[in-house]
Amino acid sequence: MHATTSRPGANPSPGRSRSLGLRLLAAAAIGLIALPASAQQQAASAPAPAAAQEEPFWARGRPRTDVAMRMAPVPAFPIPTAADKLPIAKMKLPPGFKAEVFASGILDARGMRQGDKGTVFVSSLFVAGKLYAVVDKGGTREVKTLAEKLFLPNGIEFHKGALYLATPKDIVRYDAIEDHLDKLPAPVMVYDKLPGDVPHGWKFIKIGPDGKLYVPVGAPCNICESDDRYTKIFRMNLDGTGVEVVAHGMRNTVGFDFHPKTGNLWFTDNQRDWLSEDLPEDELNHVSQPGKQHFGYPYCHSGDFADPEFGWGKSCADYAKPAAKLGAHSAPLGMRFYTGKMFPAKYQGAIFIARHGPWNRTKKYAADVVVAFPDGKGGVSRVEAFLTGLVENNEYLGRPADVMVMKDGSLLVSDDHNGAIYRITYGGKK
Amino acid sequence: MAGPCPRRGAVGRAAALVAVASFTALAAWPAGALAQGAGGAYAQRYAEQCASCHGARGTSEMALVPHLGGQPAFYAITQLFLFREGRRNDHPMAPAMSALAKGMNDGDLRGFSDHIATLPPPAGGATGPRDAARFARGLALASKHHCTGCHGADLAGGRQVPRVAGQREDYLLIALKGFRSGVRLGYTNAMGEALAGLGEADLGDLAHFMAHAVPGAAGATAAPAAAPASGGRP
Repeated sequence: MHATTSRPGANPSPGRSRSLGLRLLAAAAIGLIALPASAQQQAASAPAPAAAQEEPFWARGRPRTDVAMRMAPVPAFPIPTAADKLPIAKMKLPPGFKAEVFASGILDARGMRQGDKGTVFVSSLFVAGKLYAVVDKGGTREVKTLAEKLFLPNGIEFHKGALYLATPKDIVRYDAIEDHLDKLPAPVMVYDKLPGDVPHGWKFIKIGPDGKLYVPVGAPCNICESDDRYTKIFRMNLDGTGVEVVAHGMRNTVGFDFHPKTGNLWFTDNQRDWLSEDLPEDELNHVSQPGKQHFGYPYCHSGDFADPEFGWGKSCADYAKPAAKLGAHSAPLGMRFYTGKMFPAKYQGAIFIARHGPWNRTKKYAADVVVAFPDGKGGVSRVEAFLTGLVENNEYLGRPADVMVMKDGSLLVSDDHNGAIYRITYGGKK
Repeated sequence: MAGPCPRRGAVGRAAALVAVASFTALAAWPAGALAQGAGGAYAQRYAEQCASCHGARGTSEMALVPHLGGQPAFYAITQLFLFREGRRNDHPMAPAMSALAKGMNDGDLRGFSDHIATLPPPAGGATGPRDAARFARGLALASKHHCTGCHGADLAGGRQVPRVAGQREDYLLIALKGFRSGVRLGYTNAMGEALAGLGEADLGDLAHFMAHAVPGAAGATAAPAAAPASGGRP
């Protein structure tokens, strides 16, 4: 879909972008001698902002090389892809599985939750700022926009008839939401003391088997030390009281779930940018001792090595190791344990993980769904590809953001790049 | 306003020569030089709905109204989308733009933005003579705040990032103030963070520098045309 926006001449090319600017900037270094002395002094005395405020948060730590300087978060197109243009035919799945369009026209579709009456609620992030519902109208599905102009409303959860919605600032609840899809009831405030930062402030939330609401607060930066409000997964009672720490040393989790047997929390975590094309690997973590484990950030990455800046004097031996490494900058987001009845037995209790695909890497990859198989001893025995085929010519054809197991055992996959949700079914032999 | 446009092919170069052409002149344009099919329809609709403020070829003669020429289609469609959503409230004309954009469907957003991307870059955004001291201060700030990291070494933008070289100085100042105060939000707060710590005079100097930062105006010779866009996401 981006092809229409990338005609030659409509966009700059890396190759031709240097001459004038470099000459201008070189002039800053050497050409100023041609300017009046007063201008030099004024230029030199321009107020110096704090070093930490010079660049957008995602760019801090970026090396001063030409390739890195051209790398920024992959832009999101503000129009969802038409249903007949979605990359279904490009998708590759294991034998017996089939992908279809579940719903389209959902700009920036991210998190998914299913209500008791079958409604699929969909969150969004930067581009749309909306909350949607996909309603089954007996054969056709209707997409309703329930709320808009929300602040990075990525985190949603459905529980006992209510939809919980988390922004970087607060968490609210819409009671009996499936009875009020045409006009939402006034939101009830659950918790309003989140820090509210934009960097890694958007949420993934879930209610655990302990009946508590799990809420992460990511690092307010690419790589930094921060105060006690950050880099943790918290849990709280459903009225916002009794906040406690479940996991320390988390950088940016945008997906977690609870093991169907042990009830333990497992979470994906996006590791730091700009260290290397190939390091560090993003993580799948297992919280076996709530509140007692530190998963390394910002000191130790992937359980393997200390950060070149913040890791001096630290040892990776002192931090919890990931259950699985999921690839450098691969951006694992939503994940679910599979407990449905439709897929073959080998998938029972396995973890489906949506990998969004890297922006912070020259060669794009991932943008897929993988399956991690727990080994029954707290770790993971292997990670397998499941849904692939969405990277072509170093561009993304789609970017999975969340997965959700439907009541019938099929798997929904959201794609924020195309504004669509796909449904994966199994029709082969079990 | 019209001037040579070294980055374009023959069509763009010729187009720049008629940068202030009226719709009458545009109608006389050889058919083959205009975009075909839907593109042609949006050239017509641009002439009817946009040109009176933004200029027939995307070079605005109206105070505070930005040049559209040379903007990447991705940037243009993103702004049209934000206007349609009512999420641009940083400019005196934003309500009018939002009202206009609310009448556009997704296809219209694509059509208008694709057409805008065919308009030639403006020859400059000066609303007054160049002040060497302000230009130098703006240049130093642009370097210090890494403007080129996203906007490109020649500040010509790309994909979702706007061309700021040669934009109107009065518009740039509104945009910079809006980003710094948080009144104007993109998808992210990247611009707010990039501008943190800058005072009003700094923003004025930055706007002055960018408005004049076009080939020829900085004492630099024209940048050579180069390979067509490929890969290299900004």
